[in-house]
Amino acid sequence: MAYSGPSVFGAFDMVVWQLLALAVAAMALPVAVPWLGFVITVAIGKGLAALGVAMLLRGGLISIGHALYVAVGAYATAFLMLSVGMNELFLLLVCTTAITMASGLVIGAFMARYRAIFFAMLNLAISMVFFTLLSKLYNLTGGSDGMRVATPTVLGVTLDRTKFDLVLQFSAVALMVVVALLIDRYLKSPLGEALTAIHANEVRLEYLGVSARGVILAVYTISAALAGLGGAITAVAIGHVVPELSYWTASGQLVLIAVLGGISGVPGAFIGAFFFELVRTFAADFVPDAWNAIVGVALLIVIFFLPQGLYGLLQRVKMRKARL
Amino acid sequence: MKCLSSIIAALLLAVIGAPATAQTSKPAEVDLGIFTFTSGPGAAYGVPGRNAADVVIGQINASGGIGGVPVKPIYVDEGQGTNAVVAEFRKLASDSNNQAMIAALSSANCLALAPVAEQLQMPTFMWNCDTHQLFLKDKYKYVYRTNSSTVPEFVADALYLLAVKPNVKTVAIIDPDYAFGRDAGLIFKQTLKALKPDIEVVAELYPKLGSPSFNTEISRLVAAKPDVIFSNFWGADLENFARQAAPRELFTSSQVILALGESVLQSVGNLLPDGVIIGVIGDGWWKSSTAQANPQTKAFIEDYRKRFNEYPVFPSFKMANTIYAVKAVYDKALATNKGRWPTRDELVAAAKGIKVDTLTGTLALREDNDGLVDQIVGVTEKSSSYPFPIMGNMVRYPANLVTPPVGTDPIAWISKLTPTMLANAPKPGSYK
Amino acid sequence: MFANYVPVIVDGLVDAALIFFVAVGLTLVFSVARVLNVAHGSFYALGAYLSVVIGMWLTGHGWIVASLAALLLSPILIAVALGPLIERTLLRWTYGRPEALQILVTFGLFLVLEDMQKLIFGVEPYSQDTAVQLFGVSHISGIVYPNYQLLLIVLAIMVGIGLRLMLRQTRIGKLIAAVVADQEMAQTIGIDVSRIFVLAFTLGVLLAALGGALASPMIGVAPGLGAEAIVLAFAVAAIGGLGQIEGAALAAILVGLTRASAIYWAPEFQPVVPYLVMVAVLLVRPYGLFGSVGLRRI
Repeated sequence: MAYSGPSVFGAFDMVVWQLLALAVAAMALPVAVPWLGFVITVAIGKGLAALGVAMLLRGGLISIGHALYVAVGAYATAFLMLSVGMNELFLLLVCTTAITMASGLVIGAFMARYRAIFFAMLNLAISMVFFTLLSKLYNLTGGSDGMRVATPTVLGVTLDRTKFDLVLQFSAVALMVVVALLIDRYLKSPLGEALTAIHANEVRLEYLGVSARGVILAVYTISAALAGLGGAITAVAIGHVVPELSYWTASGQLVLIAVLGGISGVPGAFIGAFFFELVRTFAADFVPDAWNAIVGVALLIVIFFLPQGLYGLLQRVKMRKARL
Repeated sequence: MKCLSSIIAALLLAVIGAPATAQTSKPAEVDLGIFTFTSGPGAAYGVPGRNAADVVIGQINASGGIGGVPVKPIYVDEGQGTNAVVAEFRKLASDSNNQAMIAALSSANCLALAPVAEQLQMPTFMWNCDTHQLFLKDKYKYVYRTNSSTVPEFVADALYLLAVKPNVKTVAIIDPDYAFGRDAGLIFKQTLKALKPDIEVVAELYPKLGSPSFNTEISRLVAAKPDVIFSNFWGADLENFARQAAPRELFTSSQVILALGESVLQSVGNLLPDGVIIGVIGDGWWKSSTAQANPQTKAFIEDYRKRFNEYPVFPSFKMANTIYAVKAVYDKALATNKGRWPTRDELVAAAKGIKVDTLTGTLALREDNDGLVDQIVGVTEKSSSYPFPIMGNMVRYPANLVTPPVGTDPIAWISKLTPTMLANAPKPGSYK
Repeated sequence: MFANYVPVIVDGLVDAALIFFVAVGLTLVFSVARVLNVAHGSFYALGAYLSVVIGMWLTGHGWIVASLAALLLSPILIAVALGPLIERTLLRWTYGRPEALQILVTFGLFLVLEDMQKLIFGVEPYSQDTAVQLFGVSHISGIVYPNYQLLLIVLAIMVGIGLRLMLRQTRIGKLIAAVVADQEMAQTIGIDVSRIFVLAFTLGVLLAALGGALASPMIGVAPGLGAEAIVLAFAVAAIGGLGQIEGAALAAILVGLTRASAIYWAPEFQPVVPYLVMVAVLLVRPYGLFGSVGLRRI
């Protein structure tokens, strides 16, 4: 699972270059096809959430309820705008992330006691409780119609929508690079390495004097914050939030994106998200009733033949080239 | 700090540049983005809508298209979920041949699309977006509703009920759990409260839209024994509800109002006894005297029946009338421009205050962008000429009687209604 | 006003019967193969679709009573066609691998099956309620119930007892029980474990498809049915304790009765009930009401 670059610094550099390459692709694609900008922004939102799921997967923990935090983030943004009157994009992103982080900390305190199937099921249960509450509390959340999210200001400036979309896309790309680098550092820190150790042998970790629960709680909280940030970006990009954000299939998608992209390096989650959103966008035009199947088959192929995901595939291609 | 931020913002704006300009020369074809359900439970209305669009666009193209340019529909399936629908809308809006959008059957989708349409400055005509919340808080320049809203639609049902059953005491409500259903419950309740204050609501149920089974809800309704059961179920929900409730004698133990009942007369109508109150939320009843008097409508009905082996239902007319309204808006803008192809802004300007003769009556777009449409209500009646029941004992409430005036809060308007309204309204049986 | 609790109990038990079929299949597969099958709900949906389509074809040709046979025939067709195939190819590969991979593989299968269903049966809703019409109605404390609904309760009880008897009394049942208790030991004493896995998984598919088929006369069959069924089955299986047949039965009754009560007294809470119960049970007893320790892998 651990990163397999030539040296720590070399590896760091490689991740930087990979992320920058992704960022360039994310900026360049919409120049050619303008409406793809929106797809890219939403994909980054999903990628952030999938990165959180990928972190948990490194610890051997699968959550089929992580879309909960995407929805918490999205609805927090909607409520901050509607009830608090907060209207500044960057402030919204920061506050939403803080709120989701807090919710992740509270729920994580319970979750850290569970492993394996029970961890998966409890996450599923809580996300479904949240989903049904969002759908039923019509007078508070707008029920299954969801809530409107207006266009926020950017650094105090009111932009028309086309310009706002571009600013949002640039900000999302920048956030992707910065957040991914931070997570990369975290995963290579002792706390991050302890995570992989939980997967390998939790008891041995405890003998080393590291609290497994503490490690899991930290990762869970960070992964919730990532999903919340992704939810906030999704909410302002789409301009509308709906309960389906937290439905169990959305959680399944996040795990799918993480594994499709590959969990061995931080760029994997974003590669997975771009792949997923682009397939979905184009498949919706050509084979509207089969895009799920296409994604499903892609997932099975990756699991059976590319255990390191698309990211692992890229790494392998690169290494082969390096050897030549 | 403030200074710095404005510099950054100015830089950002400089980087971004000006948005693409819209085309104004005559296109080779008029692309028309049409949002409707072709999958999921919503397809029960979405597909008749799309079928009607196919027939109407065929008719329009056969007689020269719009301004001599053929119309090409681009259908978007609303069953993909709100997020994907918004993405598709953005994609279509970047097509410069696409100067107008016909959007959204589901109120969740239309509430999400309206601000997007406004932001993208895309003329959008809501073909089946009846929630009164659409224009409740927000003022739009680019969004029009080419139909009536929930307020006239369900006030009409309450008026009809009190005209045929003046002594009703207890009422139960079962609606789908989203804006359209919740609005209907509120409007129906408030209208009854204003016109007959002693009515008691004994049960209010809002099962999820698209629930496969309503069996427990039906038990609860039967157990509550209300005089009247009101429901604005539609599509597959309505069909399931009728199938599940009929064998359990719900339609005979209470007076049931199916506000959108006309749409299932051909499929499950034979399960319903005579006398169930049914509506068409608008004036789109294919057998109405108004529809039958219009040769264009008769051609539409005939064409539709031949192609799809059924008579058009009211969602078909909502779509057909909307497309004719969009054509009328194009024609008006072309006339104002003396033949120069209109921009998007010129189209929305032309839509303001337009009055269109539709297949089933008239549609007026008010200054607040809302549509004015008459409301037809009736009861199920066995027919000797058709293998399914038709509407009998009908009334056509004029749009102005049941629609709140421009600028009034609809719920406040309802609470001020008085029994004189009932006395002044046309009587059941007065319309054929 | 509702001094009469009988309708709540009847409605609750009908609901419980339908949930039981799906949940018991899920829990059976888990107890043998230790795999939580996310695609299980798709078999429920396929069972419903196939029996509706066959039923419609039969009634269309005038064979009204024969359409009842479709309710039993289609689950068998689905189980025979898909059970061994999926177990031999996809599921077998996941045995002994991390839960994350097992869940993902079956999630991939879920996505494929959902779209297969759309491609085969289309996206428009179906209804086929001949069975409800054939059996007539009964009056229970002033409320009309289709006899078909009451029959479902009886069928669910029979299937529950039948499963128990099969696992306890028959040879094949004892073999399954041996594999559940200790797979390695079972292998050592010469039990063909691989065959038992195929059998158990196929039986699980059969139960899910039977649940869908038996529900089909009372419901509208449309896309999304499988996704709803599986998450409810998860809740019921987790409440009862994964792998516990009695647990699934008790949990189904618990969830059925609380959902029905919610519709009578607090309709707004009806959909949240199963998941609230699930959270509560899992927090107190992670292994469910009937579950036992020993599954936790550290």
